[in-house]
Amino acid sequence: MALVSADTRISELLSELHQLIKQTQEERSRSEHNLVNIQKTHERMQTENKISPYYRTKLRGLYTTAKADAEAECNILRRSLDKIAEIKSLLEERRIAAKIAGLYHDSEPPRKTMRRGVLMTLLQQSAMTLPLWIGKPGEKPPPLCGAIPASSDYVAKPGDKVAARVKAVDGDEQWILAEVVSYSHAANKYEVDDIDEEGKERHTLSRRRIIPLPQWKANPETDPEALFQKDQLVLALYPQTTCFYRALIHTPPQRPQDDYSVLFEDTSYADGYSPPLNVAQRYVVACKEPKKK
Amino acid sequence: MSELKDCPLQFHDFKSVDHVKLCPRYTAVLSRSEDDGIGIEELDTLQLELETLLSSASRRLRVLEAETQILTDWQDKKGDRRFLKLGKEHELGTPIKHSKPKKQKLDGKGSHASGPGPGRPKSRNMQQKMQEYEFTDDPVDVPRIPKNDAPNRFWASVEPYCADITNDEIKVLEDLLKTPEDEADYYKIPPLGKHYSQRWAQEDLLEEQKDGARTALSGDKKKGILGPLAELDSKDVDSLLKKSESQHDQPEDGCPFGHLTQRLLQALVEENIISPVEDSPIPEISGKESGTDGASTSPRSQNKPFSAPHTKSLEVRIKEELIAQGLLESDDRPAEDSEDEVLAELRKRQAELKALSAHNRAKKQELLRLAKEEMNRQELRQRVRMADNEVMDAFRKIMAARQKKRTPTKKEKDQAWKALKERESILKLLDG
Repeated sequence: MALVSADTRISELLSELHQLIKQTQEERSRSEHNLVNIQKTHERMQTENKISPYYRTKLRGLYTTAKADAEAECNILRRSLDKIAEIKSLLEERRIAAKIAGLYHDSEPPRKTMRRGVLMTLLQQSAMTLPLWIGKPGEKPPPLCGAIPASSDYVAKPGDKVAARVKAVDGDEQWILAEVVSYSHAANKYEVDDIDEEGKERHTLSRRRIIPLPQWKANPETDPEALFQKDQLVLALYPQTTCFYRALIHTPPQRPQDDYSVLFEDTSYADGYSPPLNVAQRYVVACKEPKKK
Repeated sequence: MSELKDCPLQFHDFKSVDHVKLCPRYTAVLSRSEDDGIGIEELDTLQLELETLLSSASRRLRVLEAETQILTDWQDKKGDRRFLKLGKEHELGTPIKHSKPKKQKLDGKGSHASGPGPGRPKSRNMQQKMQEYEFTDDPVDVPRIPKNDAPNRFWASVEPYCADITNDEIKVLEDLLKTPEDEADYYKIPPLGKHYSQRWAQEDLLEEQKDGARTALSGDKKKGILGPLAELDSKDVDSLLKKSESQHDQPEDGCPFGHLTQRLLQALVEENIISPVEDSPIPEISGKESGTDGASTSPRSQNKPFSAPHTKSLEVRIKEELIAQGLLESDDRPAEDSEDEVLAELRKRQAELKALSAHNRAKKQELLRLAKEEMNRQELRQRVRMADNEVMDAFRKIMAARQKKRTPTKKEKDQAWKALKERESILKLLDG
């Protein structure tokens, strides 16, 4: 029943989103005109090679209008993105609900048959669509945006992806990609699922062994300080695996959709580091233990 | 009218994202009718494209804010002095480096109410303004947030370090150099006072005298000889004091002669060669001796004929003679000094003070010299500014001529050349 109502809610939201997108374009075409005007005025000023008070006043007016337009455009874009996020969270809820239902009934585990390649694509996809944080001027990136860690009392919600430190079968400790199932405030412990269904393991771990993954990408163009810097020690998801390993940042992303380029600690290479590999912002977290084991 | 190169604006390209090329999904969604709607599977792509648009729009917003602010600042500043200067500085490179603090100062003082930096201090205001915008949706009606005066306060605090040196300051420096005459006080070595044992003795005596006077007052009141008695008493005290003094000077009781004299005499006596010596020194001494002898018979008035100068001068003379003969070491005095700890300490401190004040004076002189030099440079800079204005005047005239499509007159040209050359020569002076 709940699923049905969620479905209608989603389709409502989708049509609202459609409306918003249309409005966005209206807004954009409206400001387009003014931007062209600015462009022209700039050109004229540059060809005349002087700046008369007339142009100054004119430019000021144009800039003010363009500013208002840009604000309006930003606002509506934000609303569209919020709408998308809302839809996605509904979808996510539905997925978790389905998963719990699946576990309880044990009749058709939803992802049992998922092949590794599919899982990897899914992980890539989720990294790609991690929302980009675009602050208004003067706003600071929030916790869990890029390299900014969660506040100390932050509790990851069920369904959130985290890096979890678990004891593997051979006794080695490993950071794996996991999904939060629940959190017990009494014991300060998380229950997490290994994302790699092959393990089909559920771990109960103290919160010290959990690092929440970022929930926004940091925009290198506007908030470069929210990114890990070159040579910083991090935990990064090794490509085509579901494990995090220690790595050094080689180059931070240059554009919003770019990945980090990192050097994994790897003793099989002469200098102790792998060649640069790309890892999405979503799968790079701060490394808590600086000492080498 | 200003030239383009003086313009702080950067003429950004504000073109918005070409969504047809960069955001295909967005474009596709736009062209759809209401009924077609959006599929869930499209959300991810759509999200990325919307993010691209938002990123671009918010970047545009930031740049516009900055540029508008620059434009406002620029417009507010009548005459555009600062920007002209900025331009000039770039042209000339190093020569005006020295005038930098100067310039800041001017800007701080200038009619312009906000901070001197072209954009930075203001951008804070902008951000505050932006936050206001969040709540109201109409950016035009929002009143301006009161200006942030932190930059002003900062520049005011820096001001004293960058300001021009004034004549007053030079005068203060000169006064400082003049003052040291009262320092002489610190180099005086006060004469050695009485030893405390003596002083105490005197105080005790005075005390006793007072007590005596009191008893006399109470006891012999009727006799009315209070005054003379007191006088007598004080005389007694004086004589007693003198006596004790002379005793102090002369280690051997009763003998008025210095110990060198005595030793010399003893030596002569023991050797039993009085008779040959009798010729010259003895009569003198015996003369003295007879005098003293006469006096010593009446112990009460002992001091009077003893008057120290004689024996003392004799002692001194003997000592001098002995030193001259090489029988005595002359380094008597410093040895004596070294025993005086207070004096030694005083000397040490005085030496320190001397060194310190010499150092201070040297520094003050150096400072004065630098200040005077800087004054000269300031004057030159003043002239450079005037020359700058002249050059600008000439430039404007020529530009006006050019605008009217006529060649500048010879007079205008000459004036321009003159202004330029003058400016150059001053700059050379400033450099040299």
